[in-house]
Amino acid sequence: MTTKQVMNAKLSPVADMKSVVAPTERRRLPRLPDTPPVPAPPPRLGDYEPIIGCADLDEIRFIAKELRGRTMKMVNSTSLGGGVAEMLNRLVPLLTELEVETHWDVITGGNDFFEVTKAFHNALHGAKYQLTKQVQEIFLLYNEQNRQRMHFDEDLIVIHDPQPAALINARADSRAHWIWRCHIDVSNPNHEVWGFLRPMIEKFDATVFSSSSFARQLGIPQYLFFPCIDPLSEKNKELPDSEVQRVCDDFGIDRSRPIVTQVSRFDRLKDPVGVVQAYKMARKYVDCQLVLAGGGATDDPEGAAVLAEVKEAAGDDPDIIILDLPPWCALEINALQRASTIVVQKSLREGFGLTVTEALWKGKPTIASAVGGIPNQVIQKLTGALVHSVEGCAYQIRYLITHPELALQLGRNGHDHVRENFLMTTNVKRWLLLFRIMLRNELC
Amino acid sequence: MATSQTLELQTRVAHKPFYFNTSAHLLRIGRERATTLPELLQALRTCSEDSIFQHTFRTLEEHHFIREGFSNDFAHWAFSVCHEPGLAERLAALDVREFTSVERMRERLVQIVQNYIENNSHAASHVAREPFYFCSSDTVVVPTPFVAHNLPEFADGLARVSIHSIHHHFIEARLRLKLTSNDFSLWLQDEMEMKEAAKRLNYIDIYTVTLEDVRRHILRIVDRALGK
Repeated sequence: MTTKQVMNAKLSPVADMKSVVAPTERRRLPRLPDTPPVPAPPPRLGDYEPIIGCADLDEIRFIAKELRGRTMKMVNSTSLGGGVAEMLNRLVPLLTELEVETHWDVITGGNDFFEVTKAFHNALHGAKYQLTKQVQEIFLLYNEQNRQRMHFDEDLIVIHDPQPAALINARADSRAHWIWRCHIDVSNPNHEVWGFLRPMIEKFDATVFSSSSFARQLGIPQYLFFPCIDPLSEKNKELPDSEVQRVCDDFGIDRSRPIVTQVSRFDRLKDPVGVVQAYKMARKYVDCQLVLAGGGATDDPEGAAVLAEVKEAAGDDPDIIILDLPPWCALEINALQRASTIVVQKSLREGFGLTVTEALWKGKPTIASAVGGIPNQVIQKLTGALVHSVEGCAYQIRYLITHPELALQLGRNGHDHVRENFLMTTNVKRWLLLFRIMLRNELC
Repeated sequence: MATSQTLELQTRVAHKPFYFNTSAHLLRIGRERATTLPELLQALRTCSEDSIFQHTFRTLEEHHFIREGFSNDFAHWAFSVCHEPGLAERLAALDVREFTSVERMRERLVQIVQNYIENNSHAASHVAREPFYFCSSDTVVVPTPFVAHNLPEFADGLARVSIHSIHHHFIEARLRLKLTSNDFSLWLQDEMEMKEAAKRLNYIDIYTVTLEDVRRHILRIVDRALGK
């Protein structure tokens, strides 16, 4: 027996597990809400002081000072659902509180328009698409209708994503600076669709992307705004331990043993089956439970198929807890992440990976695939562990469970990394800075 | 117990007050990218000064909470993506405080990468899993309300400004001053006649501590001078 095997054998409490009450016996019917909770009022700037500190909050106020009385408009395609609307719901009141009055307009359109924009979205991610003349007309017609309905009297206009991109045609009648905020990865787009949109995009003063790797070469400045989380939202706010315990009790999770969690939709690109495989490999050496918490299995046929695959891979292991949760269970997700010993995000492809941001914010040692925007967040062995395979993931699970001091340090660094770079307050600061940079000549 | 010297320091009034400013930066995506070491070398030669600044001076600020293993983005890429620890070590050994101009820093980076490629021909053909994306930053300097006319006010301001202000005055300053010193040391030396304390500030190792630790170190030096 090698030294390593001896160490693992000593550390592994697998042999003692029979004394643990079977999770199926412990598990009660979880008390999940049937409907989305009433949203809480958006936080005030001062509410963030205990989180980022007085000095950083003051700095945001100093930056905003020169912009007092200036106005900004955000335009996107939906006021409810989706990450952009969620972010604007928080951002707009905060900017307005800083006396940078910010308006938010949502474009309207028929089903035909949103079918076209959905197809554009997929095509910009690289999907094949036939860009017909009719499709172009539908896109431009609805944008023109919105242009006629809307006013652009503000100093800065921010157009989010491709749907309202043709509103740039209003630029000639406006004194504003125009920004295109692209939340999607256009690094490998369908060339026909990109070729159609590009001339519009290049009429803007600048673009903003979520990652360097998502951008295209353009003739205008391109800024980098990382996506962010709100530390005061249901999903990220501090929770009393009693609440974390309640959720664990409801789901039959034993907090006295290590908990490995992946939070994600039941989607093949999130590789939940790979997570089960990694857990099973790690489990030969260390005791742990696996929680796979997500949604998408009830409203998406592919999600249901993936959930079935995951259940099959899990077999009858009572320590694998699979939770198909409705989208409004943010509080439960928060509690599960906080209860976790390790959080995993073993995606095969990823956008920015905000579930990683959430885990890091909660100080959790995080093991994640080196895909999409994840390497911006997980700096190898400094803020987490990057992996490239099931085997790598399994090894890191073993390693971090048996090296709690390192796990703690990674968690601490990860939390600080999020505080500096990926919080809503940093996003407010970035918008103010961009506004100041755009108005540089006028403010002097 | 305060000596006459510390009492005098506590009440000494500066001819020129210290105005605490801060700088805020917005990341800009550049045109250059590299997937091999020769491409990195080429881009290092042609990228803007702002890019060199971003990936060396600024990245230190972005990762100020990490005490070890993060020196600059080039070193990090060489280590974690290119798997060239020898190059990473050489790049990581660069200390931004030794440079009073970005051009000098660029020359040094070019020299290190060029030498490495010349001595490690295998490394030149290796294609990195992830490209190095060159970025730069647009900077906005913002005044804060904190002004020090004397040493106690200086200590108070230092304790209350953000980490970004510390970086602005303590690290970025050398590019502005073209001196291997910093705004705090210059003020302590010129206005408070605290030559020794000014010198001690420059001994603080910014690569093994966080910027919050740097603040504490400076405050300790100032407090000691004030007899606290």
